[in-house]
Amino acid sequence: MNASIIRLGIRRLVRQSPAIRRLAVALCGVGLLATGPLATAPASAKEYLVTGVKPNGLVVIDPAARKVDKIHRIPGGGVAPGTIVPSPDGKIAYVITNHLDSVSGIDLDSGKEVFRANFSSGTERVKAMFGMDISPDGKELFVFQAPVRLLPGEYKVEDTRIAVFRTADGVGAKAVRTFPAPRRVAVLAFSKDGGTLWALGWDLYAMDPKTGAIRDTHKLLNWTRDNFGPPDILDVWPQFEQAAVFSTPYFTSRTDLPPTDPSAFKTGMLTLDLASGTVATKEFEDTSAVIFSSVVNPAKRGEAFSVYTQLSKIDAAGGALVKRVDLPHTYYSINIAGDGKEVYVGGTACDIGVYHPDSLDRIGQIEIPGCPDQGVASLRMVKR
Amino acid sequence: MRRMNGPQRRRRRAGLLTGGLAGTLLIGTGAWAAEPPRPDEGNAKQIITERCSTCHERQADGSLHRIDHVRKTPEGWTMTLFRMNQIHSANLSPEDSRALVAYLSARQGLAPEETAPYRYILERLPAVVETPIADGDLSVMCARCHSAARFGLQRRDADEWKRLANFHLGQFPSIEYSLQGRDRKWWEIASTQTPQVLGQKFPFKTKEWADWQQAAKPDLAGVWAVTGHRPGLGRYGGTATVAVERDGYSVRYDLTDAGGKPLSGTGKALVYTGYEWRGTATLGGQEVREVFAASKDGQSLSGRWFLPDHDEVGATVTAVRTGTAPTILGFSQEHVKTGTSARVTVWGSGLDGGPVDFGPGVTVKTLSQSATAAVVEVAAAANAAPGARTVSVGKAKGGGFTVYAALDSVLVEPAFTIARVGGNGGATPPVSAQFEAIGYLNGPDGKPGTADDIRVGALPAAWTLEPFNEAAKLMEDVKFAGTIGPSGLFAPALAGPNPQRAFGTNNIGDLKVVATVKDGAATLTGDGRLISTVQRWNDPPIR
Repeated sequence: MNASIIRLGIRRLVRQSPAIRRLAVALCGVGLLATGPLATAPASAKEYLVTGVKPNGLVVIDPAARKVDKIHRIPGGGVAPGTIVPSPDGKIAYVITNHLDSVSGIDLDSGKEVFRANFSSGTERVKAMFGMDISPDGKELFVFQAPVRLLPGEYKVEDTRIAVFRTADGVGAKAVRTFPAPRRVAVLAFSKDGGTLWALGWDLYAMDPKTGAIRDTHKLLNWTRDNFGPPDILDVWPQFEQAAVFSTPYFTSRTDLPPTDPSAFKTGMLTLDLASGTVATKEFEDTSAVIFSSVVNPAKRGEAFSVYTQLSKIDAAGGALVKRVDLPHTYYSINIAGDGKEVYVGGTACDIGVYHPDSLDRIGQIEIPGCPDQGVASLRMVKR
Repeated sequence: MRRMNGPQRRRRRAGLLTGGLAGTLLIGTGAWAAEPPRPDEGNAKQIITERCSTCHERQADGSLHRIDHVRKTPEGWTMTLFRMNQIHSANLSPEDSRALVAYLSARQGLAPEETAPYRYILERLPAVVETPIADGDLSVMCARCHSAARFGLQRRDADEWKRLANFHLGQFPSIEYSLQGRDRKWWEIASTQTPQVLGQKFPFKTKEWADWQQAAKPDLAGVWAVTGHRPGLGRYGGTATVAVERDGYSVRYDLTDAGGKPLSGTGKALVYTGYEWRGTATLGGQEVREVFAASKDGQSLSGRWFLPDHDEVGATVTAVRTGTAPTILGFSQEHVKTGTSARVTVWGSGLDGGPVDFGPGVTVKTLSQSATAAVVEVAAAANAAPGARTVSVGKAKGGGFTVYAALDSVLVEPAFTIARVGGNGGATPPVSAQFEAIGYLNGPDGKPGTADDIRVGALPAAWTLEPFNEAAKLMEDVKFAGTIGPSGLFAPALAGPNPQRAFGTNNIGDLKVVATVKDGAATLTGDGRLISTVQRWNDPPIR
């Protein structure tokens, strides 16, 4: 599908721009890291956005104040922070780092590394592509892993799996258990009650977090819908903490219409209610825009916002595009205030754009000092 | 004189694939006296036995794991050795690598027939659109990321192809997530069906390779008649004088361009696998790289030369040995319009043996004539019959010359190509694209665009750019993507996000390239497509 080609192409463009890389190098300066203590947690919970920047930066943003609160340095090797998972108490952010080879838990107040698991050992090289989540009690961290055995003279690809770490094990943590997982998982998301670990891959799997047993499979790539081809989904942005609903765009095509017919290509929204376990898919437009990721409005749960070069407001439940505006540049990630009154777009470059949920007007902006590249890092919300 | 053993030869001889050449002739007499020079293999055998085998263990059948079960081109082996240094700490010196490429290309190379379908990738020919390979969906499984030529220029059995699949996903885990990797169970297919298909299509053992190993390899020393085409600049021709020098050849080029100006120089080359000519030369003051293939009988050479840092700029090359059958290789100008005259150089071999004839209605005045070039003034009568002509110079004959009265159509060549943004302080230079306007006659069926159309050749044109489609128009690609000069050379714009553009995007563009040709009172246009895209950050010898 063209849209997907554009996804890959544009991602490369932005990631590789010399200007962005130059500025990323500038961020290495110690002066920009750790700009002061995180604002003391007020009596009522306050929201902070957390994102990653190259090289190895973890950024805490006060969206209400429209300013960056802190930039912490993620220790160890690597350049681009990947998936970010906040602890349920909002105190720690777990970040895929070290060229997908490690997860680092950073205390958001002190910037100290309080947890670290390095995945590879001996002749086994392990990469954590994207999927990671934490149990609602904050005790266990689940990481989707793709291992390869490095033998003399050859590699042997091994089966993918989910590794479980005890967060209390801190720096040097080892997996306390692993269980097999289907290949190509990109998102892990816990149910609200902690009883189900959802995994988005070719299909959407409901797994038992204790045993790894797949209890239920919602078919996606393997769906059999009359007159619809298999959907294309690539969502590597877990952005479900506000509404407790995971959402992702999907692209599909009508097999009963000729490819020359513009209505043959459809964009839809998949939602997974992490409280009820309800999965829904609904097309909302003839494909007319590239979309990378989306977020559901916690104040109006049938409504979603999606992002790439446009910000879209989508009636996910009704299957309609409500409004769409152009953005100044590409944004990969999106999140939303707990009261649904502000939408935040991030990723890709070095700013967070703040948008009004109804007018989709740009009502604010947060610049990350030194203009570092956020790349594909998650944009998460923590409450303190 | 006895042949020196490995270590002695290594110290005194060196060759390299695409760089400078150095060394001392040490090939002995005796059994090798009649053989052509071979690139110095140094102590390659010893390196493999003593160092490579640390990881590539010797198998029960005596073969070395992996190494002994793969055949590749010199470029393919160069890439392998680069990777061994880069990610497996093989610590091979440039001298070691040169010796290993020479040794492995000779022992485990590809036969001429095996490289023939894929030479464009070795020649770094721009504007090639590969024919999809339907077998096993190889165009999607493999060639969605790199060329089909990349695996088409390797030979392995299925188990060895499977090891390559393991390397791919082990090294690049995102393969399963990328476009056309995530829409199928890529790994399940790549680790089962794909190696079987590859093993059948491109097996380790072939009759072609067995025969070529046994065949006498040609000695390429001698005088060659040369011609070729430089897109945007026209044809050139003359002679190449090749002599054995050390473990390769030296060459002197005495060439002229289409206008008769000298395009001369000297160079050096190594010939791998008995036919793979890899040279460096200076032509007309410019350094160039040469990738040629010698025919199995050593009577002809063909390939391409290109600039080291801009391999999109170069020329085709065809050469035949002089002193053999008289032949015409090409013309400085491939056409003459009725009622006009032109000075034309005919290039070829054995051209000093008789009169020059361009057929009825074309009078010829010979200005000079040698064995490899005849310079003539041709005048086409107003009523000369339009069409393709067979030109003769004595016993030498050749096609490719056309008399025309009025053009019927103009095509832009290439019909589709890419350019790349670059520069602007970034690590990669821009990649340009050269277009030519080619005139055609309709041929017997009176219709343009059919197989019987007669090629008139490249013509001067006015060049303009238009948006290729509605999206390109909306994004103002014509304004931002670059410019096209009077010779049809597209120069891409600078790299990096452009704040002046919508979404601050890069200066990429999807463009229609329009050539306008004046033919008497008539005006004809043709068009091609150009996508000017982003930089290539990783540019290996085989893309």
